[in-house]
This record gives sequence, structure tokens and C-alpha cells, in this order.
Amino acid sequence: MEHIIEIKNLKKYFGEVKAVDDISFSVNEGELFAFLGLNGAGKSTTINILVGVLTKDSGECYINGLSIDNIEKILPTIGIVFQSSVLDKKLSVYDNLKYRAMLYNITKNEFEDNLKFFTERLELNNILKKPLEKLSGGQKRKVDIVRALIHKPKILILDEPTTGLDPRTRKLVWNFISELIKNENLTVLLTTHYMEEATIADNVVIIDSGKIVAEGSPNVLKNRYASDYLRAYKYDKEILNILSDLKLPYKKSKNCLEIIFKNTESAKDFLVKNNKYFNDLEIVKGSMDDVFLAVTGKELKENI
Amino acid sequence: MSSKSQFKKLTYLTMRNVKIYFKDRMTFFVSLITPIILLVLFVFFLQTTYEDSIFSIIQGFDVDQKFIDSFTGGWLFSSILSTSCITVAFCSGMMVIDKINKNNIDFIVSPVKKSILQLSYVIANVFSTLIIAFILLVIGLIYLAFIGFYLSFLDLLLIIFTIVITSLFGTILANIIWIFTKTQGVVSGICTLVSALYGFICGAYMPISTMGSGMQTFTAFLPGTYATILFRQGFLNGVLNEMSKTLPNEMINGIAEGFDVRMLFFGNNVSTLALILVITISTFVLLGIFLLISKLKFRNNN
Repeated sequence: MEHIIEIKNLKKYFGEVKAVDDISFSVNEGELFAFLGLNGAGKSTTINILVGVLTKDSGECYINGLSIDNIEKILPTIGIVFQSSVLDKKLSVYDNLKYRAMLYNITKNEFEDNLKFFTERLELNNILKKPLEKLSGGQKRKVDIVRALIHKPKILILDEPTTGLDPRTRKLVWNFISELIKNENLTVLLTTHYMEEATIADNVVIIDSGKIVAEGSPNVLKNRYASDYLRAYKYDKEILNILSDLKLPYKKSKNCLEIIFKNTESAKDFLVKNNKYFNDLEIVKGSMDDVFLAVTGKELKENI
Repeated sequence: MSSKSQFKKLTYLTMRNVKIYFKDRMTFFVSLITPIILLVLFVFFLQTTYEDSIFSIIQGFDVDQKFIDSFTGGWLFSSILSTSCITVAFCSGMMVIDKINKNNIDFIVSPVKKSILQLSYVIANVFSTLIIAFILLVIGLIYLAFIGFYLSFLDLLLIIFTIVITSLFGTILANIIWIFTKTQGVVSGICTLVSALYGFICGAYMPISTMGSGMQTFTAFLPGTYATILFRQGFLNGVLNEMSKTLPNEMINGIAEGFDVRMLFFGNNVSTLALILVITISTFVLLGIFLLISKLKFRNNN
């Protein structure tokens, strides 16, 4: 698989603050790549360097094989959704999208076709004449996404795109983006606080204080850094003595008993040997929250 | 990239900038504060004051009230246009608004050259100013048509030329300032200051000839004053010519000098051509400064 984005030893300091400190990673064409980290970890700085909003101190960045030093050749192939909307509040949705689309050398007909396609899919066609300032937060975010896609880029960069969206809208947006990845071979580089979004990514990079602390597919990361759990809802109390004898860590709550295992294999072995003590149970793989906690020592949820 | 594609980008960016200015009612209103104040002042006391001044000059002579009305009306609209071309230029600048709202980031990540973006701001700024100025001109001409219309074709051409050159002058001056401005507070401050102050220093509220000698000397070095005098000549030469048929030349000269239709530079009469040259050369000098600063600024940013 080809690397559509490649970053080598990228550094960006703001005075004493090492916003991005010698990071390297690559993104494959057609994949959903998640960039995970707390606020101020360096995610947005990296993205802003990639799209030419900030300049790098050192290192190399390539998009489509071209160095970002030739950013004007790269920009037509990129669409970006920033954390906050950068569209014109006084203009209508249609005008906002038209004035931006025309900067990409597409014809009026192409614009109208793309507009129809994207606004229908994201349920925006009834609000095209409305000024942006009159839209709800969710509608504004969807317009931001259409703006990023209106010229049909090869790469979509999403900087915290679904923050503040209701679950239905978030699902609609993700279903649509997943469809574009599948059908149009779109590459998506995403920064997010939402674990469920990082979990659906093909590859994840976790960044902390400007440095990459873990990378790999969600599955690999979970296997490497997160524990598995056996959750028992109906069980024989004798199992508590067995757990004490085996010195296995567990948490007991009103509703269930949660036994922690290094990996799925050890959970399976334990279950085979002690199956008779359990009537209702499930084995749960460690989450990306656990991975994040294990590699950074910080809780991600607290910082949302 | 082809020049056709660059032109297309420039066109759409300019259209966007102009549209935002006219959609933003508050900015639109602020930029028209000076003409509104002038109109209110005129209705409540300036018209009477000017009429009294004219009657005091022409004591003993009979002049048709139509001439007096046309003169004061022409004076009002020359004042309105001379201030609007500057205040609208200052308040309709999208470059600084984009910078404050961070909307400019969207253009940084779009395939558009910085020079095209910069040029679109200036062109849109000029267009917005011209649109307002020409609407005000049409209103002024209709008003004069009702009370007494004495403008020749040449007078109209002079007014149109002065609108264009003053709008360019104001726009370039504003854009030079906006290059160094990043906060809403500074922008509002400058807009308010220009709106409030420019009417005085260009002689829109009261004739420069009635100001103290120090102030008169100061205004003689401001290019905007020359534009105001050109507007006065465009609007008032015709009615003065009509009045000269019944009034002696000394009185006409008295009215012309008293109401800034003629300009004296250290006691010497400044010709219309000299007025045109001063404002035109000043505009081109400002343009040179603007291009130089923009170039240096871009180089430093890159």
C-alpha cells in the first residue's frame, strides 16, 4: 500500500514549548488514520503544518509524494475541517460553498453536481439558502464537511470533526465518510477525543506532549497495551476464593464481577478450567481508553 | 496556472468580499454614520447657517431662492461624498475582518495565491465604496433635480472622477493600516475615529476657510482636502455660474472661497488641474507604499 502522507522527524517549537517533537509516521492511501491525544498534545499543530497554516522548524512532510514546501501543488488534493468553522456566517450555505468551490478550478456544473451529491447525503438541501449564522451547531458542522469535500479531494483532514454533534448526526457523518473511504478511496486523517472514532480507524497514532507514544491498528494497540476483562453477571461465590488463590486482580460491584487478564488467551484458559462457576458472562477486550491510559498515564475522558 | 483561472478566483473572491460587506448590516451602518450625521445636521441647522452666510455676503442683492437651495444642497452632497468615499473604504475592508474572524485560514488552505487574495480584498473594498458612493450620487442628483439642477456634463465627469480617485485613495490607505491590524478593538477604534474625525478635517461639517489658520495650513497638506475641493467644484461651479449672472464677481469669489469651492495654498489659488494631480499622485504614492509593504510582509511570513 502506498503512503499518501509521510512525516519524518517533524519538529515545531513555540519558544520553550515543544509542540511537535521529532515525530514520524505515515498514512496509507484509502485508510482512516486517527491521531489521538489530549488538548495541546500537538495534533492540531501537526495538521496545521501539513496544510500550510504553520511552518515547520525541521523535518520532512510529503503528501502524494510532494514535499509540503510545494504546498500550492498539494492544496487542490486536500480538504480540511478545522476545529472551529472558518466559513462566512453572514453568507448563505450555497454562497459559502460556491465561493470556496470556485477556487479549485471546477466548473459551475461540476460544483452543482458535487453540491447536490453532498448536500443530499448529509441532509442539507433544505437549508442551502439560509445564512450560516442561522444554522444549528450540527448543521454548521455538516456544512464544514461539505466545504472540505466540495472539490472531491483525495485526502480529508478532520480536526475534531464531530465534537458537539448529537449521536444521530455523528452516525450520519461517519456512515457517509466510511462510504467515501470505501467507494472513492478517500484517505482520512482524523484527530479526535472520541474513543469510538479511534476504534474504527485502520491505524492510530497516540501523541503526548509532542511525541508519539504508541502507534498501530486499534487491535494491535489493545493487545499490546490493554487488559481483557471477564465480566460475570451470575456466578458461584466460590470463584472469589479461587481468584484469591490465583492472585488474579478483580473488581466486584453490585451487578457484576470483573476479572482482569493480561490478554484474551489467559482469559480463555481461566474460563475453560473454571467454567462451572459461571452462569452468565462475557469476555471484553480492553478499550482504547485503556490503551491511552497505559501509554500516557493520563485519562483521555477527563480532558474532553 | 493560467491567467484565466487566476482571474476566475479573483472574481469569485471579490464577489464574496463585496457580498459580506453588504450582508453585514452593522458594518454597513457604521460606515454610513458620517453621511447620516451630515444629513441630520443639515436638516436641523447647517442649511440655515449656510443660507445666512450667503445672505451676509450678498447683502443688498436679490438672488433667486432656487440658487441658494441648489448651492446648499450641492454643498451637502459634496460633503457627504467626500466623507463617504473615505469612511466606507475604511469600514468595508474584509481583509481585517477575515483576519479577526480567522476566516482567512480557509483561504490559506485553498489553492489561491496570497497576491490574488490580497488583490481581491482591495478590489472588493473599492467596489463596495464605489457602489455606496454612486448610490449617494444618484440620490444627490435626484434631490438637486427637485430643488435646482445646474450641473454641466463636465461637472458630472469631475464628480465621477473624484469619486473613483477618492475611493481608491481611501481604500489603499485603509488597506495599508489593515495589514498591521489584528484585533477587533483596533479596527473599531480606527473606524470610529475616521468616521468622526474625517468629516471635520476634510471640511465636510464646516468650511475649511472658517477654521483657524493653523488648521487651514494642516488641512492644506492632506490629500483628502484636495478631493473635497474637487467635489465642491463639481457640485457648485454650475450654480455659482448661474449666480454670477446677477451678482458681481467679488461676491461670487467671496462665496467660492468662503465655501471651499476654491482652494488657497499659502495665499495662491490652486487650479482644478493641480487639485486633480495632487490627489492622483498621492493615490499612486500610497499604492506604491502598499505594494512594497505587502511584498515585505509576505517575504517575512514565508
